[in-house]
Amino acid sequence: MDLQGFGGQILIGAGLTLAVAALSMIFGLVIGGFGAAAKLSRRRALRGFADAYTTLVRGVPELLILLLLYFGGTVLLTWIAGEYVEVNGFGAGLFALSILCGAYTTEVLRAAIQAVAPGQIEAARALGLRQPTVIRKVLLPQVWRLALPGLGNVWLVVMKDTSLISVVGLEELMRKSNIAAGATHQPFTFYAVAALIYLLFTTVSVIGIALLERRARRGLARA
Amino acid sequence: MRRFLMAALTAAAVGWAVQAQAQDKVRIATEGAYAPFNFKAPDGTLQGFDIDIARALCDHAHLECTIVAQDWDGIIPGLLAKKYDAIIASMSITDERRKKVDFTDKYYQTPARFVAKKGAGIAISRDGLKGKTIGAQRSTIHAQYLQDTYADVADIKLYDSQENADLDLTAGRLDLVLADSIVLLEGFLNKPDGQDFEFVGPELKDPKWFGDGAGIAVRPGDAKLKEAFNKALAEIRKDGTYDRIDAKYFPFSIY
Repeated sequence: MDLQGFGGQILIGAGLTLAVAALSMIFGLVIGGFGAAAKLSRRRALRGFADAYTTLVRGVPELLILLLLYFGGTVLLTWIAGEYVEVNGFGAGLFALSILCGAYTTEVLRAAIQAVAPGQIEAARALGLRQPTVIRKVLLPQVWRLALPGLGNVWLVVMKDTSLISVVGLEELMRKSNIAAGATHQPFTFYAVAALIYLLFTTVSVIGIALLERRARRGLARA
Repeated sequence: MRRFLMAALTAAAVGWAVQAQAQDKVRIATEGAYAPFNFKAPDGTLQGFDIDIARALCDHAHLECTIVAQDWDGIIPGLLAKKYDAIIASMSITDERRKKVDFTDKYYQTPARFVAKKGAGIAISRDGLKGKTIGAQRSTIHAQYLQDTYADVADIKLYDSQENADLDLTAGRLDLVLADSIVLLEGFLNKPDGQDFEFVGPELKDPKWFGDGAGIAVRPGDAKLKEAFNKALAEIRKDGTYDRIDAKYFPFSIY
């Protein structure tokens, strides 16, 4: 891939896009796990906090959240430190996407946990299994299976939302294509290349998710 | 624990301050989308006339410089927020900008011109531009001039970068673009996609809008850096460094 010499830069951008997406998904899953636990908690304060979080984050445009964190973060940190603090595009972008991904994951995991028949938990307890064992052996394998389609969706959204980070200057795939389009005056070529790369990433993901889903469903009677 | 943290933080701060004093490190911002003055090369590095001038000045002033890319829109706010210490990005010295930043002496001066499709037959006058769509880069002297002079007769569209204005001219969304004549010539007209376009109208250089040439912007009151650049500028003008850089990009002197 040469593309008037910009091919290498586009590939570097694509790598950064993957890295940001993967890290955001990992952090998002962790946040989602805690979020779902908070939503199903008996404590009202925790439930309220988790509700406020998902309502707020899912209710505001992704781009706006990113800009708020990027510019607001700089102002806030500068105010705390008393001198200029640089919030870089990577940090702000990763943070924003993780928060975003966490909110959606929270809802996916909550729904999946609630979809496990309560009778199964009661049966496991009746067999004398301890709580950690119940979670690990009975709850989690089923939650994984039930949550996978939803999580797959979240992953695709996160992957594409990384392009938003280009507005705060992070040179990921979108930004690199933008620079190359400007420098060569060939916007269509470079945006088409970027689109193909995103499509490649998402297609591979879709296949991967399908395989994971089949594996998670093994042993289950098919309709 | 808290005392230990405080001590560690203080030590780090002192260490940082001492290091900052030991070497004169200067961070310079440029735009990177304004060929041939500053642009991103295919390998991702910043290149162009501004970059070469910046390197030469840092060399002569014995400053250790790093050059970073910054979008044009936020380039002055970034300087004031101490994200970097100077702007070398073909910024015209105007009274408007002097209210916010200090400028060194000019390091080049070129007129502005309109560009339109070959044979379009557009006259540069209030009558000739009636109903035309004219593009320019946002927050530039060219945008300001258009707003002040033709806003009531023509449709003015502003872009985040010069490259994007050129793209819309090629795409036919604009009738004309107003920009620096050298940028239009080297960055557009002399390239394959600019071959159907040509300069129209006279060279524009009224200092009221077009300022006193391009200068280096520093934070207000940063006299030390300003003087260092001015001194280095005089040196590279005298010892031929400036002319060598000029000749690398242009067949004539742009000073």
